[in-house]
Amino acid sequence: MKAALIVDDATTVRMFLRDILERAGFAVTEAMNGLEGLERVLAATPPPDLLMVDVNMPRMDGYAFLRAIRAEPSLCAIPAIVMTTESQEQDAQRAYDAGANLYLTKPGRPAALSAIACLLAGIPRAGAAEERAK
Amino acid sequence: MNTNPLLLQFIPEARDLLDQAGRSLLALEREPGGPALNELFRAVHTLKGTSGLFDILPLTRVVHAAEDLLDAVQAGRLALAAETADVLLDALDQVGAWINGLDEAGELPGTAETAADSWVVRLRAPLSVRDGQEQSRERPAGEAARAAVPDWVAALPHAEQHACAAAADCPLFAIAYMPDANCFFRGEDPLALIRQVPGLRLSRIEPRSAWPDLETIDPFICALRLYAIAAADEAELVHLFRYVPDQVRIIALPAEWPNPAQPGTADPDSLKLVLEGQRRLLRASGPADLLPGRLEAAAQALQGTIHAIERDDLADALAAASDAARTTGAPDALLAFIDRLSADPPAEARTGVAEKGGDHVPVAAAAGATTAGAATLRVEQSKIDALMNLIGELVVAKNALAWLARQAESGTLGPRELAREIKDRQSLVNRIAEDMQGAVMAVRMLPVEHVFQRFPRLVRDISRRLGKQVELVIEGGETEADKNVIEALADPLIHIVRNSLDHGLEPPELRAEAGKPASGTIRLQAAQDNDNVVIRVIDDGRGIDPAAIRRKAVANGLIDAAQAESLPDEEAVKLVFAPGFSTAETVSDLSGRGVGMDVVRSAVEKAGGRVNLTSRKGQGTTVELILPLTMVVTRIMTVAFGERLFGVPMSMVVETVRMPRAARHQFRDRETFVLRDSVVPLVRLAHLLDLPPEPVADDGEEAILVVNVNGERLGLVVGAFRDGMEVIVKPMDGILAGLRGFAGTTLLGDGRVLLILDLRELVG
Repeated sequence: MKAALIVDDATTVRMFLRDILERAGFAVTEAMNGLEGLERVLAATPPPDLLMVDVNMPRMDGYAFLRAIRAEPSLCAIPAIVMTTESQEQDAQRAYDAGANLYLTKPGRPAALSAIACLLAGIPRAGAAEERAK
Repeated sequence: MNTNPLLLQFIPEARDLLDQAGRSLLALEREPGGPALNELFRAVHTLKGTSGLFDILPLTRVVHAAEDLLDAVQAGRLALAAETADVLLDALDQVGAWINGLDEAGELPGTAETAADSWVVRLRAPLSVRDGQEQSRERPAGEAARAAVPDWVAALPHAEQHACAAAADCPLFAIAYMPDANCFFRGEDPLALIRQVPGLRLSRIEPRSAWPDLETIDPFICALRLYAIAAADEAELVHLFRYVPDQVRIIALPAEWPNPAQPGTADPDSLKLVLEGQRRLLRASGPADLLPGRLEAAAQALQGTIHAIERDDLADALAAASDAARTTGAPDALLAFIDRLSADPPAEARTGVAEKGGDHVPVAAAAGATTAGAATLRVEQSKIDALMNLIGELVVAKNALAWLARQAESGTLGPRELAREIKDRQSLVNRIAEDMQGAVMAVRMLPVEHVFQRFPRLVRDISRRLGKQVELVIEGGETEADKNVIEALADPLIHIVRNSLDHGLEPPELRAEAGKPASGTIRLQAAQDNDNVVIRVIDDGRGIDPAAIRRKAVANGLIDAAQAESLPDEEAVKLVFAPGFSTAETVSDLSGRGVGMDVVRSAVEKAGGRVNLTSRKGQGTTVELILPLTMVVTRIMTVAFGERLFGVPMSMVVETVRMPRAARHQFRDRETFVLRDSVVPLVRLAHLLDLPPEPVADDGEEAILVVNVNGERLGLVVGAFRDGMEVIVKPMDGILAGLRGFAGTTLLGDGRVLLILDLRELVG
């Protein structure tokens, strides 16, 4: 089973994403800010297969979190989706500069989010169907 | 009624964010440029993002406009004027009201749309003056929310959803119609309107909230909510509802409805999006030391993607491209691979398996439980852990009882040993019970901050209205007390603070004349003192004039002139607590509403506390509230009267004495007795409760419980004294609630119900 980590300070958003990711067949863990997210990634063996990262968070924001991940050779390959409510081009550019695989605007359609998460983490559709059947 | 679990999570979170935003905004006014701006922005930003998950577009729009305003402040394009802060605070209040509505009704009122329009205009006003282009920042927020299926539609049984969608030749629209409560008086007929919906596929009528009792129902008020699904032209629908546009929401259902979204469906759009994302990641211009990380991330994502779309045949090509990128330190090979992948899309034979459905669970199935207004308590993890440990101990102690029972059965222990064993276990269980009581008590403890936090806003608003300059200083907010105590504290405190603002603190010019700083100070202090929490409200205002109080008290007939003369100043000012006393010369809209400090006193006393007041003319007033830390467990003294037992709260008991009947004196029409040189009036319980007179004890002595009622000592003649104990007092409910003279009941160990006397009511 693939593992996903949600890093977002809003509990409701985490709950929303968790539901989508679990239906798509992920095992989900959550963190409330970038710092806690780093702790979770470092503590996990093996590291998660996908990161869902919010930008504006207390203590450590999403950009700093992502830069820390991309700078660490053992973790740098983990695909990451950055999700924010900003749809400004400059925000997207900052996200890609920090190492995001994809920049999405919240809240996003559940079906599309699920599809994108599966593509990035390498879950074939047939595999997802099996997970659902269980 | 609201049963969507995501919404249930959202409501308390939204309230927290609003609280935080309100607090930060006030802090920001005091200290512009402080860290509060970031906190404020983040709270509003998070609220906007989260609200976008729900079909509450008006709310999202208002929060969004507030965020844009703050964005301008943060970027230094706009200074936060007091008027702007007013608008922001009011807007946050509006959002708070909508959240409450959402909690109760599960949706926003029909008027929200138009209200949101005017809020957005107000919030954007300071921006448009400064900088017209800000207008263009309004994005179609909640676009996704609009495309989403409304909750009520998702909650429909699956078969009905499919029946609606079957052979629809027109686009489908979901119509939610919340008629105005007074619509019948305007000649509107909601039912007829729904019947006229063109292409009606389905209609639903339900009460907005649980039906009230039959006798309280008002049949002239429309308490319904109507839903419909129609296959029709949108313009026709809008035309039909043209007279009630603010009460109706018409939402286009997505074309694929009701087929649930298939997880993992690799639709071409998602693939395109992901590939475009990898291109941007590879071309990004971030710090150079992150380049290897970005290359690895893109390679990993692409590997996942080809596996997901079942193009593992490209794995070798991808590995080669990744190696090339790694060795050259440049993304070109990977970019070329992406181009190849987009030009050669996956063989799309994947739509066939899609219809599998059936496992889709409607969101709102778990109806029934009303969660509106449920009181929730936030608890630190450590407190729960402590409780959990005790439960563990209790389980162990419980098991020991089974062992004891076996011993008793087998007769291996003699009665004496058995009794000792039982006593040992009893003392163990007793200790655990006491610890658990303490632990549960700790769970109920809240910091006083909880009440204090509303005051910065209150003080700000009132002082602005009164044209006074006031600084509020809060100290000891971390002091903890029981939740009930904290709640009992709120109203009296508001009253006291308002009094200070209104009557205590002088306008700036008067303060200047008196040689005081123009800005007055109100201190809110909390501290723990043994088993009490002490709250002080201290102002440096004009103080209370004892002479004025005496005049007023005499005029109101509370005391006569001679009594007024002999009353020392510090006692005179306490007359403000007397029922019906009010010194306000002019009735202002703040505190001169006929409820005076006597209401404060009775509210505090009801919670088992007392009030103190000291005041010095020209220097200020201090009001002190002393409340027990907890109201859950009360120590009582039990007294017997014939066969009957009654409880008296220990907090009122001064001492117990036994007196020969002959020691009583008749003083005018009252019985009294002398207790260490002072005369104490006697009251007979039999008389208070209208019981038959008690038989005189053989020794001719009477049991007298000396109690303190409303600051006065009294001797209560009872039958006999019994034990003191700690009990949990249950308030009288049902038909007994109206009974005067009893504070509540508690269960005794033998199953009897003990009535707890309320001496204030009985004697007063």
